[in-house]
Amino acid sequence: MSPGGPIHTLKGRLAQLARSVGAIFVAVVTVGVMLILSWNPYTAFVLSVTLVFAIWASGMNLLAGYTGQLPLMFGGIAGLAAYLLLYLTETCRWPYWLALPMALTGAGMAGVLLGLPSLRLRGFYFTLSSLVVQLALTLFFVVAIPFTGGDIGRTVQVQPRLFGVSLQGRYLTYTALAILLSLTVFLSRLVRSHWGTFFRAIRDDDVLAGALGINVTLYKVVAFAIGSTVAGIGGVLYMYTVGFISPRSYDVLLSLTIWLMVGFGGRATILGPIVGAILLSPLPYLLQSVYLLRDIIYGTLVILTMLFLPEGIVGRLQRRERAESRTIQPDLSVATSMRKA
Amino acid sequence: MVPIAVAVISNGLTIGLIYSLAAAGVTILYGSIWMPNASNGQFFALGGIFFWLGIRLLGVGRSAYPALALGTLLLAAGVALLLEAALFRRFYDRADRNYIYFILTLGLAQVMSGFFSVTVGPISDAYAVPQVVPGILMVAGSPVPYARIVVLAFACLAVVSLVVWLRMHRIGLALRALFQDRDGAALRGVDVHKVFRLAYLLGTLICVMAGILYVVAFPMDLTTGWSVAVTTFAIMIVGGPGSVLGSMVIALIFGFLQAVVSLLANPVLAQFAYLIAMLVVLVCRPEGLFTR
Repeated sequence: MSPGGPIHTLKGRLAQLARSVGAIFVAVVTVGVMLILSWNPYTAFVLSVTLVFAIWASGMNLLAGYTGQLPLMFGGIAGLAAYLLLYLTETCRWPYWLALPMALTGAGMAGVLLGLPSLRLRGFYFTLSSLVVQLALTLFFVVAIPFTGGDIGRTVQVQPRLFGVSLQGRYLTYTALAILLSLTVFLSRLVRSHWGTFFRAIRDDDVLAGALGINVTLYKVVAFAIGSTVAGIGGVLYMYTVGFISPRSYDVLLSLTIWLMVGFGGRATILGPIVGAILLSPLPYLLQSVYLLRDIIYGTLVILTMLFLPEGIVGRLQRRERAESRTIQPDLSVATSMRKA
Repeated sequence: MVPIAVAVISNGLTIGLIYSLAAAGVTILYGSIWMPNASNGQFFALGGIFFWLGIRLLGVGRSAYPALALGTLLLAAGVALLLEAALFRRFYDRADRNYIYFILTLGLAQVMSGFFSVTVGPISDAYAVPQVVPGILMVAGSPVPYARIVVLAFACLAVVSLVVWLRMHRIGLALRALFQDRDGAALRGVDVHKVFRLAYLLGTLICVMAGILYVVAFPMDLTTGWSVAVTTFAIMIVGGPGSVLGSMVIALIFGFLQAVVSLLANPVLAQFAYLIAMLVVLVCRPEGLFTR
C-alpha cells in the first residue's frame, strides 16, 4: 500500500528510491539542526518542549486519529505520571529507575480505567466524559496538597541520571529525541500491522467492527494503554524540562493544545502530529512579547483548523499525492488482515 | 439553625435560578442545533464583565442598570449573530456536527477567556458592581441583601417567561418540535436553519442574561466562566439534553447543593459532587434522567 504507486513498475521503484533518499536527507538535516540548536541552553529548552509535544501529539494521534476516541483527559494522565514519579522519588525516596516504570505503568493503568466509559459511550459522549475526568483530575491535583504541593506547584529537586550523566539541558533534549524516534518507529509499525487496521475499523464504525469479529473491548483497551503510557512519558519529560510542576501545566488546555497539533498537522498520519508540534509548540517562545496572547492565538488556530484544514497539513498533502498517482485503489487491508488474524 | 436555613435558601435559590437560566441556554442549543456549546460559560462571563465595564467606564448610577443590561444584551446579540454567520452556519447539515461544534466552541472559549484576561484582567481581579438596591433585609435574624432579592425576582421572571414562551409561542413550539424530530418538523413547514439561528441567538442571550444577574448579586472573577461552563454541562447531562424543564430542576438542586456544601463544608467538595454525579449519569444513563 505504498502511496507512490505499485512497487513492480520502474516508475514506482524510482519514486520509492527518491522517497528514501529524501527521508535520509531530512533526517541528516534534522540531526544537524538539533545539534546546533541544543548547544544554546535556551534553544535547547525550546527544542525539548517541542520534542515533548511531538511525543504527546503522536500518542494522542493513536487515540484521536486512528482509534477515534478524543481523550480530553490526556493532559491529566500526563500530570498523573509526573506527580507519581515526583512523589515516589522525592517523598518515598525510591530508586529512580524503579520509580519510573511504576509511574508510567500507573499512567497506563489509569488511562485504561478512565477510558473504560468509551466502551459504553460513543464518540462525542466519550469526549464529554473525558472532559469531566480531566476536570476531576485537575481538581485532585489542586486539593491533594501532600501529594502534589497544591496550586502553587512544586520545584523538581531530583534529576534523573543515565550512564553517570545528569539528564539536564541538552542531554534531556537528546533523550527526548531518542524517545520520539523510537516511538515513531513503533507507532508506524503498529498502525501498519493488523492492529492498526482494527483500530481504524473501530474508529469508522465500532458496531460494524464488533460484528466483523473484532474484539472492540480489547483493541480499545490496548489503544488506551499505549496512548496513556505515551502521555505519561511526555508528562515526565515535560516536568524535567521545565523543572517545575503545577496543576495548571496539566489541565484541559494542555489536552486541547495537543489536539490542535494533531489536527493541524494531520490526523491519522504518522508525520502529521510531529509536523504540527514543530510548527506550533515553539510559537509562544518565539513570540515572547505576546505571551499573554497565547490562548487567543491557539484558540483561533483551533477554530481555523476546524474550518479550513479539517484533514491537517500532512493529510492534505498525502491526499493530493494519492489523487495524482492513482485513481481509485480498493482498500483490501481489512480483508487480508482479517484472514491473517 | 433558622438563620443558616435562611442563608442557604436565599443563596441556593438565587444561584440555582441563575444556573437554571444558563443551563436552559445550553440545553436549547444542544437540543435543537445539537451543539454542545462549551463557550456558554464565557458568554456568561461576557455578560457580567461588560455590565461591570459599562458601570466603570460610563460611571452611571443605579438608575441606569436596566438600560445598561439592555445594551449588554444587544452587544452580545451582535457578537452571537456574527459568530453564527462566520462559524456555525456552515455545519448545520453535517451529521458529525456535535463533535465539530464541541471543538469549535472550546476554541472559541479559549479565545474569549484569553481576551478577557488580556483586556480586563490587568484592571481588576474581581468584578463586583454597586448594589442595585442598597441595604439588607433581616429575615429571622439572618441578613439578606435587597440586591439579591431583586435578582431572585428577575431570575424567576426570566425562567417562567422562558418556559411559557417555549410552550405557547409559535417559534418556541417550532423549537420544541426540532428537539423531537428535525425531519418531521421540516416536513411540517419549519424553516430549520432559521430556527437554528434563532436558537443560537436565544441560547447565547440567556447565558449572557444569567451572567448579568450573577454580577448584580455576587462578585465575579475570570475563573467564573470556566466553572459555569462545567456546571451547566453537568446540569445538562444529568437532566438530559433536550429537556429544558429537567435542566432547570437539576440546576435548582445543584444550586442548593452548592449553597449547603459551601456553607457547611468545602466548596471543592461541591464541585467533586457535580463531577461524580455527571460521570455516574453518563455511564449508567447517558440519555439523562429527564428524557423520555
